[in-house]
Amino acid sequence: MKHGKITPYIFIFPMLVGLFVFRLGPVAVAIGASFTRWNVQAPPKFLGLANYVEAIGSETFWLVTKNTLFFTALFVPGVMILALLMAMMINQKLKGIAFFRGLYFMPYITAMVAVAMVWNWIFATRFGILNHILRNFLHISSPPAWLAEKTWALVALAIVAIWKAAGFQMMVFLAGLQGIPKSLYEAAEIDGASKLAQFLHITVPLLSPVTFFVFIITVIDAFKTFDVTFAMTGGGPNYASTTLAYFIYQNAFIYSRMGYAASLAFFLLIFVGITTLVSFKVKERWVSYDL
Amino acid sequence: MKSQKLFTFLSFIIVLTMLLGACAAPAEKAPVAEESAAEESAAEEPAAAEEEAPAAEEEAPAEEADKEITLRYFMWDPSFEEKEQVMIDKFMAANPNITIDFETVGTPDYWTKLGALSAADDLPCVFNMSAGYVDQWIMDGLLYNIQDYVDEGINPDEYYTGVFDVARDKNTGDMHAFPFAFVETVMFYNKDAFDAAGVAYPEAGWTWDDFLAAAQATTVDNESDGVVDQYGFWFYGRYAHIESWIYQNNGNLLNENKTRFEADANALEALGFLDSLIHEYGVAPEPKEMEGVRQQDVFPLGMAAMWVDGAWNINGNRENIGDSFNWGIAPLPRGPQAETDKAYGWPDSVAVAANCAHPDEAWQFVEFMTGPERTIDLTFGGKVPIYKPVALSEEFLETDQQPANKDFLLEWADYTGPTSFTPGWGEWRGYADGAGLEGQLGDVFNGVTDLDSAMKNVTELANTVLVRYYP
Repeated sequence: MKHGKITPYIFIFPMLVGLFVFRLGPVAVAIGASFTRWNVQAPPKFLGLANYVEAIGSETFWLVTKNTLFFTALFVPGVMILALLMAMMINQKLKGIAFFRGLYFMPYITAMVAVAMVWNWIFATRFGILNHILRNFLHISSPPAWLAEKTWALVALAIVAIWKAAGFQMMVFLAGLQGIPKSLYEAAEIDGASKLAQFLHITVPLLSPVTFFVFIITVIDAFKTFDVTFAMTGGGPNYASTTLAYFIYQNAFIYSRMGYAASLAFFLLIFVGITTLVSFKVKERWVSYDL
Repeated sequence: MKSQKLFTFLSFIIVLTMLLGACAAPAEKAPVAEESAAEESAAEEPAAAEEEAPAAEEEAPAEEADKEITLRYFMWDPSFEEKEQVMIDKFMAANPNITIDFETVGTPDYWTKLGALSAADDLPCVFNMSAGYVDQWIMDGLLYNIQDYVDEGINPDEYYTGVFDVARDKNTGDMHAFPFAFVETVMFYNKDAFDAAGVAYPEAGWTWDDFLAAAQATTVDNESDGVVDQYGFWFYGRYAHIESWIYQNNGNLLNENKTRFEADANALEALGFLDSLIHEYGVAPEPKEMEGVRQQDVFPLGMAAMWVDGAWNINGNRENIGDSFNWGIAPLPRGPQAETDKAYGWPDSVAVAANCAHPDEAWQFVEFMTGPERTIDLTFGGKVPIYKPVALSEEFLETDQQPANKDFLLEWADYTGPTSFTPGWGEWRGYADGAGLEGQLGDVFNGVTDLDSAMKNVTELANTVLVRYYP
């Protein structure tokens, strides 16, 4: 069957339209908006670099950036370790393993609002099951107000986010684990290698390309975290659990400061870009494609 | 050659997407599209058009009055959609040349949608307007100046005009929205808890000392295990919980012309008193203790004997408390600096868009929707209709339901007026996100910081916001 030269373009045309209308168009508008004061209902006013200058000089912006980095520091290793553990658990030929795979994956596909309702109840200060356990079984008379104390709010959000997100990364790790030839483990066993040695010297190195991929997407997920904050704390108490993506939402849709929010979005882009770039730079040092 | 074709193709795509974007312009532009040349310029220069509007009305030929027109009307409460439609049908029956294109949008999306429509120059002609946003919308020139209509058509004796100031342009004093109801903050109290403690019910003129005594008497630790089962009072940094105490102590958070945050000594005294209820007298919980319980459920659940919030919670209390206990409403206690009662309250209004093609008809509709036709069943429980004959009717008292003293809202209405609304209020007050003043007070009430530090922080923060609007 012969195709004209235009045929491939016809196939990619709908995608390109989507790309321009829903991605590149808004990005272009956001760039423009970041140099303005714009509350949506009234026409924008050009401010030059004032929004960027304001962000750099704002204590709240740096607090929120610090929160984002702290959340990332909790979320990325948390998700990766939990996902790898779960992947190894379900990478076995057991009766009913498909059920457990589905079960562990379920939080990932559960609506955040439903998840938030359950976890809000778990974390509730007076009536939450967690504090009930702490009070009655561990005899801690004043357990924390998990979602209302500055020390704990972001930790609590990270716990929920890790629990919810790990299912997806688990599936990626599972695919990676199943790609490692069984013969390597058999040879190692014949040589008398322990399970730990097999994990450290076969699984870890051969899984490193997948681990790198999981690391990158998890870091991006962490920087973009929004829904768990929106649904559980609203960024409180007093910005203690506000992360950059939520701060952008706050400024854009609660304070109607589209211009400032757009400038914040470019800071987020810079942070994600730098992290990804650094990750790719150091990739060669720890990612290997053979033993 | 190939790259040239690719460039041509991509250029085509870009142009096409731009065209698609242009085609996406709102379909419902009819009222604006029908504008006369004079009205078109009005859209660009609302102030000028506002001055000319009444004259244009006088000169309109008779056939213009009978012209079929459509007015779009946005309301923010979908739960009242059916009842509102009944009123609209009445209006359309009385004005057969006017069709009302009615739409309700729930509050979470209401302002986003309205803002987007404004950006697209497609605002509905008539829409609900909040006291918290009206200053900003006036400042942006998006609301029609209805002062001439009000002067001509409204008898001030028939309306609760004390809350009109919220809808005025702060520079000119002209009204840019018209209230249909207003709310007041009141003290909800658990009568059974008061009876059990042997304390008299709150009355007009009661003081902070009286309140403290009542709060102490109604704070109960049944098992003496250090866990309070019922606090005397419940509050946190929320605007409806705080400002009313400040006004009842003759205090203010803002300077006289509301351009800067300058909490005065009386305001600080009120905030200090509130903090002492938690950390000195132990009659109110730290807000974090109630995390996990919706703030409006603490009182209905019997976890606190008193609670200050908007009277609109009357509906929720009726549903949540049922017959569990008897409760009433009362004025807030007067602070030591009070000279007279001052109730924190504000109106819900209806506004006409500055670029509405048919302001006369729009006002006609606004007048209808805020007057005698808005009966009690069309007013959310606890809110007071702005039109006095309706508010003063027997129906409003709802004597078959709690609270038994709903007439108190009518007495309290005479003292309603002061507010702290400004452009950017939502941001510096932390209205929707618990930051700003609410967040700083939260830190104080949770014992994280002291009041002086918090007020220093919030003064800086709030003025950073206000200076954007009032350089």
